[in-house]
Amino acid sequence: MARKIIKYGLLTIVIGLLAYKSVFIIKLSELQTIEPKAFDAPGFVQKLWDGKLPARLDSAITLDALQTAIKLNPGAAFDTYFNSMSIGNIRYGLVKLSGKVLAVSDDEVTLLAGNSNEPLTVKIATEYVYGNAIRDASRLINIKDFVNTTDLNKISEELNKQVRKVVLPPFKANVKKDDMVTCIGALELNEAHYSLSDLEIIPVQCKIIQQ
Amino acid sequence: MTAIQRNNTINLARLQSVIALVVLCTIIAILSDKFLTMDNGWNVLRQIAVNICISVGMTLIVLTAGIDLSVGSILALCGAITAGLLKNGIKLPSADLFIGFTLLGALLGGIIVGSLLGWFNGFVITKFKVPPFVGTLAMLTIARGLTMLWTQGHPISNLGPSFATIGTGWLLGIPVPVWIAGIVVLLAVFITRQTRLGRYIYAIGGNENAAILSGININKVKLIVYSIAGALAAVGGIMVTSRLDSAQPNAGTGYELDAIAAVVIGGTSLSGGKGSIGGTVMGAVIIGVLNNGLVLLNVSPFWQQVVKGAVILIAVIIDKGGNKK
Repeated sequence: MARKIIKYGLLTIVIGLLAYKSVFIIKLSELQTIEPKAFDAPGFVQKLWDGKLPARLDSAITLDALQTAIKLNPGAAFDTYFNSMSIGNIRYGLVKLSGKVLAVSDDEVTLLAGNSNEPLTVKIATEYVYGNAIRDASRLINIKDFVNTTDLNKISEELNKQVRKVVLPPFKANVKKDDMVTCIGALELNEAHYSLSDLEIIPVQCKIIQQ
Repeated sequence: MTAIQRNNTINLARLQSVIALVVLCTIIAILSDKFLTMDNGWNVLRQIAVNICISVGMTLIVLTAGIDLSVGSILALCGAITAGLLKNGIKLPSADLFIGFTLLGALLGGIIVGSLLGWFNGFVITKFKVPPFVGTLAMLTIARGLTMLWTQGHPISNLGPSFATIGTGWLLGIPVPVWIAGIVVLLAVFITRQTRLGRYIYAIGGNENAAILSGININKVKLIVYSIAGALAAVGGIMVTSRLDSAQPNAGTGYELDAIAAVVIGGTSLSGGKGSIGGTVMGAVIIGVLNNGLVLLNVSPFWQQVVKGAVILIAVIIDKGGNKK
């Protein structure tokens, strides 16, 4: 009997000690004051959209200048005009272009743009706006300012949402074949296997300049 | 057959998996210069550590002539529970309380849930006489569903450097997961060879009716064995979650098959009563080396599955041949 009491007594002490070292209880209301505030991605992106992004768009390289730069020295062109926050060969850059609308579909608007000697077919994505293209191309985000990748991904989500909400509706509603259009957006290229024959950009600014 | 010949046959059977491993390593080393490097060796050992933990639990179950198809799902659920407790704790808004968990608490939470799920498997099998295959198949689905509910289908990430040490850290020049797997193996060897429980496990698998007549409480032994297997699946889940620094809702899919393969290749009889932890460790190493070799040799993932299946089939056929003798 005495052995049983000692055995179960010791067991209780061990369990109690483990529980004491395992769990802590605080008031939920106190926790909310201690916990760091969750990252406000919509607020952050709105500030970016109204603040630093327009200046970046103004300094975007034109498509024909990019054509020439890539032809002269692809490595330097990628270093100067493109960026990526992840590993791999995919790079994003902000590009300014103007051209004539060749076709309008539910998913994209196709333009003839670029150098007049070697015009390029460029698709402006008007339906599927996903990924990190704008975030990376803008070069406005420093990875070291963020403690987790979820917040970084939220920035992309919000930027894409902004494009879908603000940029695309008026453009899609009015654009038609043969319009002259100017557009600034994020271009994705694979640095190791780049090709300028079938470009697609995620628009950040689109204007119909002549109907 | 003389006694010496019989002994030689038994020793050869025990050496089968060692010979298979040596042959496998030689072939891969000839075909890939990256195989016999330290980095690759540690990488293989880290990967094998998870399978060893699960396979050891599976061996105990198979020795009792049972099977557990739910270990992969239990692994995912326990990894997610550990990550969830560590990162988010439990909030009770109605009581204005937050229950936070230290690293120790989160680890214990995951392991306790694993052993409870294993215990439930054993309970269903012993109380309602449900065949282990069916009972644990049901748990496979239940645990996977619970994982989705707990995580809401999203990974739980950023679990902190202390937790990451379990899956990625080093201790005395050896990866921490390898230490964990080593301790699990030593404990399992001790249980199977040196304890009454170990003898009961072999007795039940060898002849369940005889075990009952000998006065062994077979239900109690099975409950313990399934609980241990559940706890070891949880340990595997913690290692996987720690290594990825993220609890993935779909983690551990197909791990039960790798565990069963390791057990079978290691020479444990699926009809129970025959086998060893050492054999299972060898089986897990063979599976790990095979997986690694197929990746190094750029074999298509589709063909990898075919090759793995073929290896298991050959192991079972050899095992059957050995049993006939």
